Amino acid sequence: MKVALVGQPNSGKSTLFNAVAGYRSLTSNFAGTTVEYTHGQARVGGAVLELIDLPGLYSLTPTSPVEEVSRDYLLGGDWDVIVNVLDASQLARSLELTLELLDLESPLVVCLNMMDEAARKGMTIDTHALEIALGVPVVEAIGARGRGIIETFRTAQEVASTGTRPHAFVYAPEAESMVEGLAEKIAAAAQGQPAAIPKESGVGTEESEARSQQSGARSQESEARSQKSGHSPALDGAALSCAVGHCSSACCGHPPAREGQQGPRVTAAVAVLPVLPPAVSPPTSSPALQFQSQITNRKSQIAEFPPPRFRALQLVQSDPSHMPTGIGHRTFDPGLRTSDLGHSFVEWAQAEIAVRTGQPADAAISGARHAACLTLFERVARVARPRADWREQVDRLAMHPIWGYAVLMGVFLGFFRLIFDVGKLGEDRILNLFDALVAALAQHMNAQGALFAAAKGAVLGTAGAVAIVLPYLLPFLVGLAILEDIGYLSRVGYLMDAAMHRLGLHGTATLPILVGYGCSVPAVMATRILTTRRDRFIAAFLAVLVPCSARMTVIFALVGFYLGANYALGIYILNIMVVAVAGHVLARLWPEISPGMLMEVPAYRVPAPRVVALKTWWRLREFVLVAFPLLVVGSVVLSLVDFYGWQHGINAALSPLTALLGLPRSVGLTLIFGVLRKELSLLMLMQALGTTHVLGAMTAAQILIFTLFVTFYLPCMATLASMMRELGWRLTLAASGALLALAIVVSLAARGVLKFL
Amino acid sequence: MNLYEAGDHAELRILLITGGWEVRRSFNQMGIQPGDRVRVLRRAPFGGPLEIDNKGTRVAVGKQLAEKIRVEVLP
Repeated sequence: MKVALVGQPNSGKSTLFNAVAGYRSLTSNFAGTTVEYTHGQARVGGAVLELIDLPGLYSLTPTSPVEEVSRDYLLGGDWDVIVNVLDASQLARSLELTLELLDLESPLVVCLNMMDEAARKGMTIDTHALEIALGVPVVEAIGARGRGIIETFRTAQEVASTGTRPHAFVYAPEAESMVEGLAEKIAAAAQGQPAAIPKESGVGTEESEARSQQSGARSQESEARSQKSGHSPALDGAALSCAVGHCSSACCGHPPAREGQQGPRVTAAVAVLPVLPPAVSPPTSSPALQFQSQITNRKSQIAEFPPPRFRALQLVQSDPSHMPTGIGHRTFDPGLRTSDLGHSFVEWAQAEIAVRTGQPADAAISGARHAACLTLFERVARVARPRADWREQVDRLAMHPIWGYAVLMGVFLGFFRLIFDVGKLGEDRILNLFDALVAALAQHMNAQGALFAAAKGAVLGTAGAVAIVLPYLLPFLVGLAILEDIGYLSRVGYLMDAAMHRLGLHGTATLPILVGYGCSVPAVMATRILTTRRDRFIAAFLAVLVPCSARMTVIFALVGFYLGANYALGIYILNIMVVAVAGHVLARLWPEISPGMLMEVPAYRVPAPRVVALKTWWRLREFVLVAFPLLVVGSVVLSLVDFYGWQHGINAALSPLTALLGLPRSVGLTLIFGVLRKELSLLMLMQALGTTHVLGAMTAAQILIFTLFVTFYLPCMATLASMMRELGWRLTLAASGALLALAIVVSLAARGVLKFL
Repeated sequence: MNLYEAGDHAELRILLITGGWEVRRSFNQMGIQPGDRVRVLRRAPFGGPLEIDNKGTRVAVGKQLAEKIRVEVLP
């Protein structure tokens, strides 16, 4: 039995999941960190449940790729029951998703999580009243303390095994008949019948209404059968549309969702009203054959799930202007969208609703849902005076217009200092360990052979990866997870929004750029939380521009060691300036009227060690999966290059570049190594120069220019791979070209300045 | 008066959310709709976002978006 955990971000789904499914999921206190859904198995009351923990989503109309993952999974229908987890302290807002989930007319259990948080806010919730109003079981829980979790899953199991399903929610009366008409068309199309086009009046005429009322009882049965058994029964479209369109109203004898608890329905208004004459005539184009065949080909999917009424609602709420915005506009009925008939029918329905309600169709529907949520909230919840809280005091300081920035500086300076100190402790020991391994290998193999060169490359590749991952990336990710889980990163987003505007981004993009200081790979992946493709590109570009921990080692080992810590700090400051200019330029090159920041500010929470561990592991895993194989293979290849003595050719090929930058010709190869792994350019530099005393072989100016170039030029292969995945090859190629050009410009400028000095 | 111009700590009622489908959808996701009573808790400097309270849910709203919300001050 498959149980899908669905909830808005920060509602505590993953806490519930982890409590029963073990160490396999990820929870967070920052919207959008569970980027892929997680499976786990749990034994509840003797039965084995398969749990699917989906990324948080605010509504079934997604605004980011993260939300799309959840939406697509839910609409795929590969589950038996939904457990909708709500943050009880945010009940009014959380109910909006619940009402949307009711539209799926599938087994549903509501879990009111964080009841303690609600009590702290002075809220008392009448769970029984909520249960009656929604028509689905509601279970109270405090996930963090393990309360109510087993009850939730037990109830889910019960609901799934009996197959009880709730009613769809009923929206504004002015919109209902249009939605119903559209649902009827979808249902008819699913049956392979030509969709009847109304000539004069709209859909949902009195005649069809009467017909559907009659066939109501029959259609419920068939509908129940069709959803459970996975094949579509022979139904006429009108009957199915009744099942999905009308039974939500109290007029039909729909079986109660739970025995003895069928209460009054939450409706924005009376469900079925006399249908108004349409203000706009529907289009009378001929039923396109193409439209029919498209639909019938997808018959098995469409006839059953998602319900036609749900599809109709989604279509009516979709963007009327069809502006390409990158995401969230994939509709479920290409036929109804793209064919002459369907496309214009949806538009006609939208126009009709707009005329009747005096506002855009999507606003009419969501407004009705919102009003219903507030009514429901007022009916089931009492709000008294909140208890005095230290958290508000903390925010007075942490979000203060002046002190907030002081706290921010302090937190991050301390944070990076700590990582650097921890990292230094581990790095040498790890590298020594692997050096010993290479020495051991040399004794057991022919040290002159190509095989040994390959093995040595593999060991050193692993060593480099481990020496970066363990000492620097691991503490960085742990620290970041702690800051995130406390809820501090949201405050950072709030404080940094104005500054990020200068880079053409919003406060939400602070996270990827901060992660970039640790490792570019998870940083690029973290751009998924952003809503537009343009924002994701700019954020990814800037995130790979900031020096990651590998480049940090190069900067400190070369410039920091030979020229002094002030020069190293200078590179960081220069980098921040370059990031600012690059962001500014990119924002000009790719202007977009961006909707701006709209971000929840979650309550501070004490981070749970297990959650921090899981999140760290999750991000580390992404690095390991993408980067490790590339590092090892690349290292082997370069060892062989070295073995066969191809470096002279490479150096010759790169000599125009090295000459331009005024660097020794022999460093050409190290730049290739640097693409493989940034810190390799350091090791290879020593090898290429034939000495560990770099200052003897290169001048101070050359060291500085070399380091600057390595800091800015191409990202490493692992980063490129993750950029390809997130942005596609065109943008990755464009970004790589731009970075290379940028590195040359910065290095030449530095050369010019140094000459002048 | 738009939300950004409204004073801190005053009780406000949202009259209208101007702007297109995207804007409406974003606010809708955060549970902010016309008719809601909200309060500005604080604002970030240099044209930064506002933090508003809407029935216990705290949301940071960027300046551009705040300017798209028409509000009235409740007595």
